[in-house]
Amino acid sequence: MKRSVPFFARVATVVVAGSISLLGLAPASGASTPTATVNVVGYSVLKAAYAAVETAFQATPAGTGVAFTNSFGASDTQTQNVANGQAADVVNLSYVPNIQTLVTAGKVPASWTRQEYVFGHVDATLTGTKAQTTFPTPGIVTNSVVTFLVRQGNPLKIKDWSDLVKPGVQIVTPNPLTSGSAHWNITAAYASQLQIGKNGTQARSFLKQFLSHTVAQPSSGSASLAAFVAGTGNVLVTYEDDARAAVNAGDQVQIVTPTHTFLIQNPVALTLNGLSKPAAVNFYRFLFSAAGQGIFASLGFRSVLNSIWSATKSQFPARNTASTLWNVTNINKQGWNFVNPFLFSPNVTFVKGSHTDPLVGVATYYEQFAGSGS
Amino acid sequence: MTTHPPLARRVRRHVPRWTSGGARGLALAYFSLLVLIPSVALVTHAFAHGAGAWWDALSQRESVSALRLTIACAAGAALINTVAGTATAWVLVRDRFAGQSILNALIDLPFALPTVVAGVTFYTLYGPQSPLHVNITGTWIGITVAIAFVTLPFNVRAVQPVLEARSFHAEAAAATLGASTGHVFRTITLPALAPAILTGTGLAFARALGEYGSVVFISNNLPYRTQVASSYVYSLATSGQVDAAAAVSTGLLMLALVVLASVNIVSRRVARSQ
Repeated sequence: MKRSVPFFARVATVVVAGSISLLGLAPASGASTPTATVNVVGYSVLKAAYAAVETAFQATPAGTGVAFTNSFGASDTQTQNVANGQAADVVNLSYVPNIQTLVTAGKVPASWTRQEYVFGHVDATLTGTKAQTTFPTPGIVTNSVVTFLVRQGNPLKIKDWSDLVKPGVQIVTPNPLTSGSAHWNITAAYASQLQIGKNGTQARSFLKQFLSHTVAQPSSGSASLAAFVAGTGNVLVTYEDDARAAVNAGDQVQIVTPTHTFLIQNPVALTLNGLSKPAAVNFYRFLFSAAGQGIFASLGFRSVLNSIWSATKSQFPARNTASTLWNVTNINKQGWNFVNPFLFSPNVTFVKGSHTDPLVGVATYYEQFAGSGS
Repeated sequence: MTTHPPLARRVRRHVPRWTSGGARGLALAYFSLLVLIPSVALVTHAFAHGAGAWWDALSQRESVSALRLTIACAAGAALINTVAGTATAWVLVRDRFAGQSILNALIDLPFALPTVVAGVTFYTLYGPQSPLHVNITGTWIGITVAIAFVTLPFNVRAVQPVLEARSFHAEAAAATLGASTGHVFRTITLPALAPAILTGTGLAFARALGEYGSVVFISNNLPYRTQVASSYVYSLATSGQVDAAAAVSTGLLMLALVVLASVNIVSRRVARSQ
């Protein structure tokens, strides 16, 4: 029963906080007379980070008297809720396609990647290549990598992706229909094979094995961590920042950074509503400031601000800090525009003349083997 | 159980017309807003792209496996609860023992407790780190247990008032004429209780079809294997496939309606035959 309490607490907070903030009943700050309220909608594991960032923001002149409502949950779910009208000024979602969904829904302007230059800049005078070196990835507020969490002592001696499909390995990874984290994990699993020189067919076959070794696919990254900490499975595939938070929380787990991992880039955007609120714009600016990025870095994220990243780099496994770290454009030059439908389209199509070799919706198709191989 | 139309008409005449008219208006408006209009909207969504698309969404293998698992577990839980719930109601009414009133009060606990809390409790008690060394997570047994917990009050509370209102004179008479206890129960008590038992079973089953909170953790939510229909619907709805979500929902809705209607018909027939 030792770990039942954290699991209880974790799930209870995920659920209760999620539903309360959805109702807009829980301003995050204790400010008695807020001058403005900023509605934040984010993916599930951001909860702790935003609590810290918001408190720090409220201590700045721009943030005095600003109150927050927070809603954190599975990224695709959050995206759909905002598309359907949930109040949101700042949206920090798991991956770029979520923001694109909101652009299509008319909630976020199509020029959202420019917001970082216009509103988020620490030094608005920087232009051109100088801006590029300060913020190399417009619209991305935090980086991370896909990593593994295993039981204390790593009893199964898991080192890299190939170890995940060995007999007896039980993987926990969230459900790709609801979770952004799941998209990163599955994309990283596929990319890991390309990185070691396998061809597309071999990489797809690996993905099939990977999914067949999953024993649980909870609805969000947070729910997956909760299930893993409660004893389900023997490896959790997750964000590095989330894994570090679990270790810091004292859970009986340890991090294994796979040799061939994958760069996670989490986007943030001001919605059309948020653009009209000075408090929201100021908060957005704070997210990209040295102070804001420093807080993210202290919580296990990889900063997108070069100065902070240089200062905190040494905390991360060295081999994964190099520029050789794969990102989504290494799979295909079109990035998510190609990878998202290729792996996650709900409409599966097959290679010509085949009924078992998917061409589009690869992960969607292989989900039918979930749980069959462990 | 026969009705007396003249009496009913006489009673109705003594109720002021405006009262019944007002109540009727309120009831219909309320029901429309809360149930009827949303149901119509759901069906509209489900058939937004025609009956073919509706059937495609419903007959997807992922959908079929989720529906099959949900129906099996809901039916299993309803059947177990029918026996256990009737026995519980019996004990509560016909028996006298210490703590009876506490038990009676606790029966409704599954209704009061947030279902997610129930799910998490089961996960910690009967999960991978179970203090009892029983792990039913990720299995149909786990799902059935969670559903049985959530729906138990339906079975107990449907039977209990009927038992309370029953005089048991017929049973006493049969017993004095030499009928065995089992025979009395089978031929007199059970048929009298049957409509109530059936109602409880039907309600429990229909409610179980849509259960989400208590099962979403304990099931491990594996698509094609242990994902229940409500969770599948949720994942469709949150990944932009709202019409497919509505289609699968109408599948559940139709099944629930058929079951409730059949229960209604059968229990009326049983009641009439007595």
